[in-house]
Amino acid sequence: MRLEAACLLAFIASALAADLTLYLPSKPNPWSLPPSTRATLDSLGEHYAAPISSLNTFVFKNVSAPGSYLVDIHCATDTFKPLRVDIAADGKVDAWETFRGNDWANRGEAIPVQDGGAVEARFLIKKNYFQERPKFSVLTILKNPMILMGLVSMGIFIGMPKIMENMDPEMKAEFEARQAEGPLSALMGGGASRDQGSFDMAGYLAGSNKEDGNGGKKSQGVRR
Amino acid sequence: MRRAFSSILLLGLSSFATAVFQDEVDDIDFHHSLFGVPQAETTFFHRPRKDDKASLLYTLGDVGVFGAVNPSNGEIVWRHQISTDTTIGGGHFRAPEDEDWVAAAHGSTVQAWNALTGRNSWHTNFAGDVKDLEILEVTETGRKDVLALFDEDGVTVLRRLHGKLGTVVWEFRQQNKDIPLQVSTNIANIYVISLHGSPSSYSLKITSLDTLTGSRVNDWTVGTKGEVHGPQDVMFVGANSAAPLLAWTDSSLSKLNVHVLGTKGKQEIALGAETTGVVIHAPHLTQSLPHFLVHTKTATGGKGEVYHTNLKNGQISRAYELPHLKGENAFSTSSEGANVYFTRITGDEILIVSSESPAVLQRWPLAPSSHIKARHAVSEVIKKPGGEEFAIRSAVTTVSDDWTLVRNGNADWSRPEGLSGSVGAVWAELPETESLAKALEEEAHTNPLSAYIHRVKRHINDLKYLPAWLQSIPTRLIDSLSGEAHRDTSLHRDSFGFNKVVVLATRRGRVYGLSTANAGKVIWSANVFPQLQGQSFELKGLVANGGESSVVTLQGSKGEIADINAITGEVLRVVASGSTIESTATIQGENGVWLLALDPSGKPVGEFPNGVVPKETIVVRGEGEVIKGVRFEAGEDGATAQQTEVWQLQLLPGQRIVEVAVRPSHDPVASIGRVLGDRNVNYKYLNTNTIVVAVLSDADSVLSIRLVDTVSGQILASQSYDGVDGSKGVSCVISENWYTCSFFGQYLLNDGSGQTIKGYQITSTDLYESSAPNDRGPLGDSANFSSLNPVDSPSQAPLPFVVSQGFVAIQPLTSLSVTQTRQGITGRQVLAYMPESHAVVGIPRQALDPRRPVGRDPNAAEQEAEGLMKYWPSLEIDPRSIVSHERDVIGINNIVAAPAIVESTTLVVAYGVDVFGTRVAPSGVFDILGKGFNKFTLILTVLALFGGVIFLAPMVRRSQINRQWGE
Repeated sequence: MRLEAACLLAFIASALAADLTLYLPSKPNPWSLPPSTRATLDSLGEHYAAPISSLNTFVFKNVSAPGSYLVDIHCATDTFKPLRVDIAADGKVDAWETFRGNDWANRGEAIPVQDGGAVEARFLIKKNYFQERPKFSVLTILKNPMILMGLVSMGIFIGMPKIMENMDPEMKAEFEARQAEGPLSALMGGGASRDQGSFDMAGYLAGSNKEDGNGGKKSQGVRR
Repeated sequence: MRRAFSSILLLGLSSFATAVFQDEVDDIDFHHSLFGVPQAETTFFHRPRKDDKASLLYTLGDVGVFGAVNPSNGEIVWRHQISTDTTIGGGHFRAPEDEDWVAAAHGSTVQAWNALTGRNSWHTNFAGDVKDLEILEVTETGRKDVLALFDEDGVTVLRRLHGKLGTVVWEFRQQNKDIPLQVSTNIANIYVISLHGSPSSYSLKITSLDTLTGSRVNDWTVGTKGEVHGPQDVMFVGANSAAPLLAWTDSSLSKLNVHVLGTKGKQEIALGAETTGVVIHAPHLTQSLPHFLVHTKTATGGKGEVYHTNLKNGQISRAYELPHLKGENAFSTSSEGANVYFTRITGDEILIVSSESPAVLQRWPLAPSSHIKARHAVSEVIKKPGGEEFAIRSAVTTVSDDWTLVRNGNADWSRPEGLSGSVGAVWAELPETESLAKALEEEAHTNPLSAYIHRVKRHINDLKYLPAWLQSIPTRLIDSLSGEAHRDTSLHRDSFGFNKVVVLATRRGRVYGLSTANAGKVIWSANVFPQLQGQSFELKGLVANGGESSVVTLQGSKGEIADINAITGEVLRVVASGSTIESTATIQGENGVWLLALDPSGKPVGEFPNGVVPKETIVVRGEGEVIKGVRFEAGEDGATAQQTEVWQLQLLPGQRIVEVAVRPSHDPVASIGRVLGDRNVNYKYLNTNTIVVAVLSDADSVLSIRLVDTVSGQILASQSYDGVDGSKGVSCVISENWYTCSFFGQYLLNDGSGQTIKGYQITSTDLYESSAPNDRGPLGDSANFSSLNPVDSPSQAPLPFVVSQGFVAIQPLTSLSVTQTRQGITGRQVLAYMPESHAVVGIPRQALDPRRPVGRDPNAAEQEAEGLMKYWPSLEIDPRSIVSHERDVIGINNIVAAPAIVESTTLVVAYGVDVFGTRVAPSGVFDILGKGFNKFTLILTVLALFGGVIFLAPMVRRSQINRQWGE
């Protein structure tokens, strides 16, 4: 359709011209593509464009030959692979995949050409224009580590007295004895066995070796 | 395969660009998708499906966009551009009756499109220019074919094209010097109408052809007595009807000559004395009655006369007259079966009459608020089943270039088609609200006591707003929580600076104001420079002055100057000096910016305001391919200025300037250096007096991109690219310390690898003060330098250190532009239009960074400090970086950006055929709580914490008490 006037004149002068048809693959559904979909053929000094037809093809007429063309399909919803199409002087059409930013001679997989110079386009990927907004869900809040930590400590806080009540007296006594030694009692017990549970942070950082005095018995509980 | 994979990978990688959220569409952006002002002869209602009564409205506008519109809501069903470029009127667009396709033609192409889907049926090219396109409704096969009349260098060629395939059925050639005008058919024959003779005494030559073979049957000429001087003088109506007509008036508009095709001779109709124009309306269906209406326009109004043609002898006779009415009158024809209805649209009513009798079949009053002043219209009249009632839909092109659909007297929708074909746009600031600041300032200047009293009074006065404010709290709270932000559509500045007015000038001389506060709606329009038929307004300069009243100044090429209030659209001043203006320079004066108009020789036109001569060197594109710098000095008498040419950039023969890029007027630089990965600093070469000139040599296809110092004219840096196709366009942009160009290139790499590159390319160049980090070059920290100093002196103007890189883009990128933010801290995006995919894209500068490491991955420090990615020769464009997302934006010629008050955001408007505006945040909206900020979650979290505290407090208290007792 959009033949540059110069190309047209060139066509009249040389009359070496061929037709090229590009047809769409069955996936994505070619009927779903918008009517603005178009294909272009580019080379130095040449530019052809063809709109999508009712038969899901792109028809280029009177393409000047010989020539080596970069074929692009521009579509609002889908991306197609760029192709290289060579049209020989006798109208023979060859097609390959091509790689942008690579040597033009570096061709990819050859694409079979049907009779009459019909080439199948290669689908690459569906286009996504929009950024997804993170959705609100209770799960994401629960996955937050702060919330998880809070929930666990809350569970201990509420659950522990219940467990204690249901324990048999022997174990309870043992547990209480253990707890009295532990560091937690220093915090909870409001001063009971202070000297035992305290951790001398300043001393630890200064490098003083506590184990000399205490025989390494309690350090288990404070090594956080 | 591996490569394909990595390119997919890159698609994902390049997604650091911020994309549009789906829920922000229509909120942050707006799009006027347009056809151009509908032309009377290429606008029609047509049923795209034979067995479906629903019809669509089709048009080909005067900018060359055609397509279908849903008549019930004005939305576009499909549309295409008829030519690569914007057209200035013309083109042909026809629909066959009861077929599912439409045919269009322009230039040398003829196309057929599916009327419902907008898919192409066929398209074909011929030598020569299409002069007319007609549908051959009655053929021997039952198929409908297309007749295309061409002018091939003086040879008249008529081709009959197969309606389904587009192949040539037959071709008729006539080797003479006649000017082909029209083609028409009636049941029997095909008629080719051409102008025969010399321009002083043209006669109309009518050749009748055989439908089946295209061979000549007969021809005859009709003398015009020198009343026809060109194709524009001949009116032609009722192309496919039973009795097609040719008509022309004499120069004094005293009589109308009518020739009925298929008969001999002409008939005369006398016109009134005050006639200023004549339009003829006739049905174009074979089965319609051969009746037509002559619409006579006068300076004050118009009248209509209905004539009947006798098919047997070709005689016309006046049937009745519709009285003269004041104001704008528009007539349109519609036919249903054999019945022909004429619709008359005046300022206050719509009425329909049958072509048989003057009795008004039905009339509908028009609401006075609709302000419809019809220029021309197309109508669809339907007789309601079983009654005498009618239903009417009219698509009216108004005097103000809007396209309005009037259904039974009510304006259903209106499309601002006059916005198309815009040639310039500028962002205008809204005036500051009469604000608290002013009141406070007032108080500060008086003595404390009166200031105190004033303040108390003010507060008491403010109290009356309190109840309303309190009342509004619940609704505001709910709106805020539900995310339905209340939109302030008033023309006041908002705290983000998003509310601005875009002033657009179109080639029709009409100027529009669009407000971003209410989704880009047209707030005013004014026909500032009315253009004659076939002429276009050429804009040479457009500037906006902020302050208390926003005033926009326009300068046209014919010396027209206008000042317009950007908020109200009030035209403050229009001057037409008549002198030719070649270019304008924007000068920053004491009272804001103003335009200095220059004639083709580079001399200033008119006087300098206040006699102040600009001190700057002004860069002028001279006659031929030359760029020069000129300065002005006040003459001895103080008024006239002496002009001195400072420098000239002359090109070699065969070279031409294809692009000149200047810096955006607002281009702040946040940092003078660039911190590298190793904590060193590269100092940017920041010379505001630089432009980029792209020079193409057509013979050997070499593009040379030059950075020119505008003070000295020295070329500071230049790059040269082989195999560049000038016909595909070159576009450049310069900002900060870098510039970027895009073009089509096909060349052999000069690195000895023997590789060839073919494709659209975008090159990017960075300028630094020196090649070594932490080094500011020969100038060091010196505060100023002169470009005019000799190059070999110690204080010479240093040449920048240049880093350059090229990329292969997936598509052509045109109209390059750059985002602008208030402080320049935010990263920049290169804005470009992709003419093949009809989209506006924002490419992040990081993607085009010439410092992207080649052949290795960037180390962590480089990634962190500079945001570098590994260089990849192909620049894939992530769809998410397309700021126009799914919109089909046609024919963009330019993109204009403006900063908002918030640093993160740039306001962007792209114009050409369509107008598209949006807000772009190149580094994300870091200073605004967007829609993503979930207020509901915030409140829920606070409530949950509160609940937790309430729940836990007694438990903690109890446990503490228990512990105390336990001890």
